[in-house]
Amino acid sequence: MTHFKKQTPITDISVLIAGKAGDGVLFTGNVLARILKRQGWEVVTCRDFPSNIRGEATSYIVRGSPDRIFGRGDCVEILLAFDCQAVFRHVKTISPGGVVFCDGEGVAAMPDHLKSGKMFHSLLIRQLARENFAQEIYKNMIALGALSYVLDLEMEVIQQIIGEMFLRKKGQDIVAKNVQALMLGWKKAEELISDSECHALDRAPDEGRLLLSGDEAIALGALAAGCRFFAAYPICPASEIWQWLALYLPEFNGTVIQTEDEIAAMNMAVGAAYAGARAMTATSGPGASLMMEAFSLAGMAEVPVVVAHVQRVGPATGMPTKTEQSDVNQWIFGSHGDFPRIVLAPGTIEECFDLTVRAFNLAEKYQCPVVLMTELDMGQNLRTAPRFRLDQVLLDRGRLLTQDELLRIANFKRYAFTPDGVSPRALPGLKNGLHMVEGNEHDEKGYREEDPDIRIRMMDKRMKKLKAASKDLMASKVWGDPKAKLGIISAGSTLGAIVEAQAKLAEKGIKTKFLQLRTLWPFPVRETGKFLTGCRRVFVVENNASGQLSWLIKSQVEGCPQLENILKYSSIPFKPMDISARIRRAAR
Amino acid sequence: MRKKEDYHLEDPTWCRGCGLFGVFEALKRAAVARDLDPEQTVIVTGIGCHGRLNNYFRAYGFHGLHGRALPVATGIKLCVPGLSVIGVSGDGDAYSIGQGHFIHTVRRNVGILYLVINNRIYGLTQGQVSPTTELGFVSISTPFGSKDFPIDGPTLALAAGGTMIARGFSGNVAHLAGLLGKAFEHRGFSLVEILSPCVTHNKVNTYDWFRENIVNLDEDPGFQPGDRTEAWKRLQDPRKIPIGLIYRETKPSYEELVLAGIQRPIGREALGVDVPRLEKIMEKFR
Repeated sequence: MTHFKKQTPITDISVLIAGKAGDGVLFTGNVLARILKRQGWEVVTCRDFPSNIRGEATSYIVRGSPDRIFGRGDCVEILLAFDCQAVFRHVKTISPGGVVFCDGEGVAAMPDHLKSGKMFHSLLIRQLARENFAQEIYKNMIALGALSYVLDLEMEVIQQIIGEMFLRKKGQDIVAKNVQALMLGWKKAEELISDSECHALDRAPDEGRLLLSGDEAIALGALAAGCRFFAAYPICPASEIWQWLALYLPEFNGTVIQTEDEIAAMNMAVGAAYAGARAMTATSGPGASLMMEAFSLAGMAEVPVVVAHVQRVGPATGMPTKTEQSDVNQWIFGSHGDFPRIVLAPGTIEECFDLTVRAFNLAEKYQCPVVLMTELDMGQNLRTAPRFRLDQVLLDRGRLLTQDELLRIANFKRYAFTPDGVSPRALPGLKNGLHMVEGNEHDEKGYREEDPDIRIRMMDKRMKKLKAASKDLMASKVWGDPKAKLGIISAGSTLGAIVEAQAKLAEKGIKTKFLQLRTLWPFPVRETGKFLTGCRRVFVVENNASGQLSWLIKSQVEGCPQLENILKYSSIPFKPMDISARIRRAAR
Repeated sequence: MRKKEDYHLEDPTWCRGCGLFGVFEALKRAAVARDLDPEQTVIVTGIGCHGRLNNYFRAYGFHGLHGRALPVATGIKLCVPGLSVIGVSGDGDAYSIGQGHFIHTVRRNVGILYLVINNRIYGLTQGQVSPTTELGFVSISTPFGSKDFPIDGPTLALAAGGTMIARGFSGNVAHLAGLLGKAFEHRGFSLVEILSPCVTHNKVNTYDWFRENIVNLDEDPGFQPGDRTEAWKRLQDPRKIPIGLIYRETKPSYEELVLAGIQRPIGREALGVDVPRLEKIMEKFR
């Protein structure tokens, strides 16, 4: 089958596709990612896009491995550049032995010290596309053909994917032309490169796995959890959740509303949740700031609403298309007054799905707002994941009263005092359930009340719901050697780089354990305390400048030992090396 | 048939003579005329003296944030379209802090009856100027006179594509109750602004002042409420403030447009995991 002489099997490959916005970098990368996935490989992509539609430099890494990977790697082996500037920009990141394809002749001018050990080829994809297909758009498929040759990908798999993409929407002719373009790229690469430059990948069974972004997994989780109302304002990098729900919610009798701003989005979701729907909004930092007021309302009025927050670089407008974890404490300490809230942080695609389902259950069981904190790296990049287990999705609406139950209650009190603080909930429009939902402090019936004693009892009632919730939250997970003396703590999509850094360190005989926090609030004090005991040194890994997570840990864990920060706020996700190098130095 | 007492939960504690008493009375009369079911009605209020209405009028109540009554009301209406959803705001709530929501809810034509009680002053916060206060008005926030030109809610609603725009006067309860009755029947969003004196903080725009400065379009046989140009002309007339039904037209309501099944309220659906359909969707990610 393979056209190359067998070499040492490749266990990790990263292809960097670079050009300008509008070149089709994302399209090319996404198709490549799907091909790798269908060949049975694990895939992670990593986008580096400008906040711009056309013209500015853009790049996209597609990484594949037969082993489980969760994030970007340290190296790039192959560069596909849509112009010479892209080669100059990225040549330093290409490993020795790497292959560079460039749509241009300008690479000849590359200084020798930059070229060393890498092979450069002019692959004039635009010219080939114009000459053969009279349309430049085929350049991407030609490029994919060349990459497929180098990686020894299965033609049948690729042709099948092309069919899936184009047959229904564009017809057989377009499919045929794309296949021709693919073959042309393949042939050109065959002429250009030698066997020694090949990076032939093995095959493995695909086994029905998925390739999707965190945003898509959250949207799927929301659908599975019975979310039927979604209101939001456009914002990068959370809009994919919305776009996806906009497409599928109607067939589940649900609806998606584009609001005038995030203030309206949050208030509308609160209104919808009060009226009985499982309701959600999604946003990023700037939108979250606008939602804070209604967040407080949801807490006071005890309305079960779910927010997905996909973090990007801040402050202010920051860098809308780049990743960061600098809103960690925004939902934990944000808004006015004391009220219960739950904040969850998925670290993998499966957790994006599972925690979204859990968020809806927690919101209704404890009648409080629940926030799912993720970040652009997880939200917008693609990752492979095992198929989600729908048979394991359980829906729990908590103490939501049916009409029959409500009719049996003599004097319904929406905010009745109960041992765990959770009061039975009636929906508006039901018989025998008349009540007030109040943003002002209120009595058990919901009517405004300023009596100091009732104020204390109501505040205690609301706050103690978190105690009841704590047994129901997503437990933290420990990765690595549980007996290790070097500890790492983090949350979210830093997981990939950390787990790989741990493996690298283990190869050098350095044992580590990693506490992945999956619930950020109420803070898992006991789990964290237990993890910290026995640690000689502890590193907190975060994509922000001030160590927000380490502040959180210090503020919550009594007698917290010294924490060392491993921070990155360059707008680029962690590489495993960023973490392993720091810990190696420290371990010496 | 229900009686007025069926809607009367408690005696209001507004200042003696407050225009809100007229609004309360008119709302009860309109409710009786329509035989409104309190258990099928949600009143969403903003922040201001009007916000106490929930404590006095018997229905489901939602008292949220300052200026945010309309998005909450929209969420409710879209999830249970069969409910009568009544939004209540003051002029500060609707035209200042909630201005963005106001314009956009008008243009969406969501099936909400929206009462804006306009007393041209901030009463609950002790008498600052509002967006409808006249230029030069002296208040605690403007000791040297207001420098802001006022805006007019019904004019904004007309510009935003409002499908029912009316204005009443809390000193004319019978007329106001009639307007509310028409608003209950309207398909989509209806704005009923109510000129309503604040007897404590606004000594200029009194009952007498309003009586002298309003003209009732409903009593003008030459006026047709279906004519945008005519409505615009009357609203811009510098001599008199028009009250009555100013404009009305028929457009589909937002809930008719955005809901997949208006007969299957989202907020009443029994939840379940539709495994086969979700499995099929998951195939897209293969």
